[in-house]
Amino acid sequence: MTSVTLENIVKHYVPPIGAAETHPVSGLDRVNIRIEDGETISVVGPSGCGKSTFLKVVAGLESTDEGKIFYNKVDVTNITPQARGVGMVFQDYALYPSKEGEDNLGYYFEVRKKTEEEKQQRLRETAELMGIGFDLLMGRQVDTLSGGEKQRVGIARCIVREPNVFLMDEPISNLDAKLRERTRTEIKRLLKKFSITTIYVTHDQQEAIFMGDRIAVMRSGRIEQFGTFDDLYYSPANLFVATLIGTPPMSVIPVTLQNGILQIADASLTVPAEVAEKLPEGALRFGVRPEAWSVVNEPSSALTMSVARVERLYTERAAFASGQIGGASVNVLVPLDFPAEAKEIFLQPDWTQASFFAADSETALHTPGAPELF
Amino acid sequence: MSLFPSVGRKQPRLRLAWTAVVFILWLGVFMHLVPFYIMISTSIKPAVEAMSMPPTLWPKEPTLVGWSLIWNISDIAKSLLAQPLSRYFLNSLVMTFGVILLSIPVTSLAAYASSKLIKGKVARPLFIFFIGTLMLPGIVTLIPSFLLTRNFPFPLPVPPNIPGTDIAFPTWRIWNTYWAVILPAGFSAGNFLLFKGFFDGIPDSIINAARVDGGSEFNIFRRIILPMSIPVYAVTTYFTFGGVWDSYLWPLVVIQDSKIAPLTLAIRRIADAFSYAGTTNTMTAIGASSSISPLIEQGLSWNGLMVLGLLQAIPVFIFFILAREYLLKGVRIQGLK
Repeated sequence: MTSVTLENIVKHYVPPIGAAETHPVSGLDRVNIRIEDGETISVVGPSGCGKSTFLKVVAGLESTDEGKIFYNKVDVTNITPQARGVGMVFQDYALYPSKEGEDNLGYYFEVRKKTEEEKQQRLRETAELMGIGFDLLMGRQVDTLSGGEKQRVGIARCIVREPNVFLMDEPISNLDAKLRERTRTEIKRLLKKFSITTIYVTHDQQEAIFMGDRIAVMRSGRIEQFGTFDDLYYSPANLFVATLIGTPPMSVIPVTLQNGILQIADASLTVPAEVAEKLPEGALRFGVRPEAWSVVNEPSSALTMSVARVERLYTERAAFASGQIGGASVNVLVPLDFPAEAKEIFLQPDWTQASFFAADSETALHTPGAPELF
Repeated sequence: MSLFPSVGRKQPRLRLAWTAVVFILWLGVFMHLVPFYIMISTSIKPAVEAMSMPPTLWPKEPTLVGWSLIWNISDIAKSLLAQPLSRYFLNSLVMTFGVILLSIPVTSLAAYASSKLIKGKVARPLFIFFIGTLMLPGIVTLIPSFLLTRNFPFPLPVPPNIPGTDIAFPTWRIWNTYWAVILPAGFSAGNFLLFKGFFDGIPDSIINAARVDGGSEFNIFRRIILPMSIPVYAVTTYFTFGGVWDSYLWPLVVIQDSKIAPLTLAIRRIADAFSYAGTTNTMTAIGASSSISPLIEQGLSWNGLMVLGLLQAIPVFIFFILAREYLLKGVRIQGLK
């Protein structure tokens, strides 16, 4: 039962003498976040954005230069990782290679001077939680386990102690696709069961969406936006978040707005008054998600896209057509039976789902906001 | 394992190159084995043949006279040395294991710290400081090191005065004690590099996992890192054993008392007697030193010298057999990374 709060956390990496980089590299740059008790949050971002550093700071494995960390109301900024009582799962499993499965779980009890009975009791409970076949892994030498088995042991090692906070650093990135799917569901099931505060770091947005109640998007040491998937998808804080979340990404087209008329490449579209009044005149960037285009038959008051390729998603009974409008690449959600030979299609944006960004910065000028589905 | 990729090896050009490489490798093997062959074949020659010019490749009359040393070496030692041979053997053991017990923990902990615990600005200068001693040949530091043993910890002939007084700094004279051999070997830059290379290969995440589990830094080292590192410990212990067991020059400089002299110094004295017996004719030898005459009478010259050399090498050889598996494994782990 722990909430985690980070206040103004700053972390610089000092490059070693003789390294090519001479300025301190920013690991975390004024990070403020509050993770509620029992909540699972995903941290997503490109590599090198500081998401692993974020996790290490919460675990106490990295020191901070500024700011404070609280577990509930307790300031743990200067508490060692040994005393924080967190559980951590690593991308490379980080099992102790010289120990058997059971002793990997047992190291916690060994260093905490717990009794043998308590250990056995917890091991039994953990094995039960981990499900079928887990007992068999306990007696095996670590190097004889497969990747998926190793990560199961890794996760078990993390839950055997009943941690305050679960920290997962890309736990399934090293697994193959099929196993990744299964382990993902398994982790989700465990998290549901425990409702322990969890921070799940990943570079894969699908995984982030699947795992997290809320998602934090990071870039170069900053949290760009923190919110539910709907917040991120329909009300992105800036262009970076808008283009990061969603597959295929939002199309961003340079446009000019004049007297309620949007000039896109050589076409003009009339912007509805309720949208136009929120926007400044002049150069803008126009963002439309693949599903917010409608294909029309008439070229009049529509944009012409030259189709470069069609990707069919059979399980979704749909396809994506990609091409270009005015030099910007555009993805459009089309029916599965979309003709492969189509060279040009005419598109109209759904104005209720369109976003606008400033032309010279990433500022979001207008975002559609989450639709009311129910 | 093959020298070349197996595909295309039948091309004449590659076949020629392959033959050339294999020839050079065999030449290397041969050159390494020749000294051993000469040692062993000389050890079973009679005293006169051992000195004959040109030397014979195989003894005409093989004899085990040289090897009779094994059971009468203590008699010979008695006439040549101040202490019984077992005393020197014991001294060598004390020094060797003293160095191993001090230097392996010190060096490995330093390497672990340098590899895993010290990050940021100081890491690199510290590393260079540690391996800096590799840049100087031991012979250059011989005299400063000798002075250091006289007035430890000052490398000066006379200890300086405490500033503002006439009283000299207290010093510890480790010269002519076991410490003179053990203390300067307390840190080994070569072993440090081996350890650091090995520890660098251990992922940080394992240590972080153990920290999160609640292990103290030393407990992590002892319970997690140490069991993973047996190969590198075997390799460094072997190198240390061989280095100290066979060391001659440094003990010669810092050990005066025959009561604490190592086996190398004693064997050197016997070996001198043998080569003297070998290079001079019998009559002058007898005339020159009565202590050599028993050797000549027993038919010992360079054949005995070779036997002594082999005897000195045996403990190192046994240690190699013990550590063999780990030596190969350790070298292999280094090679892979």
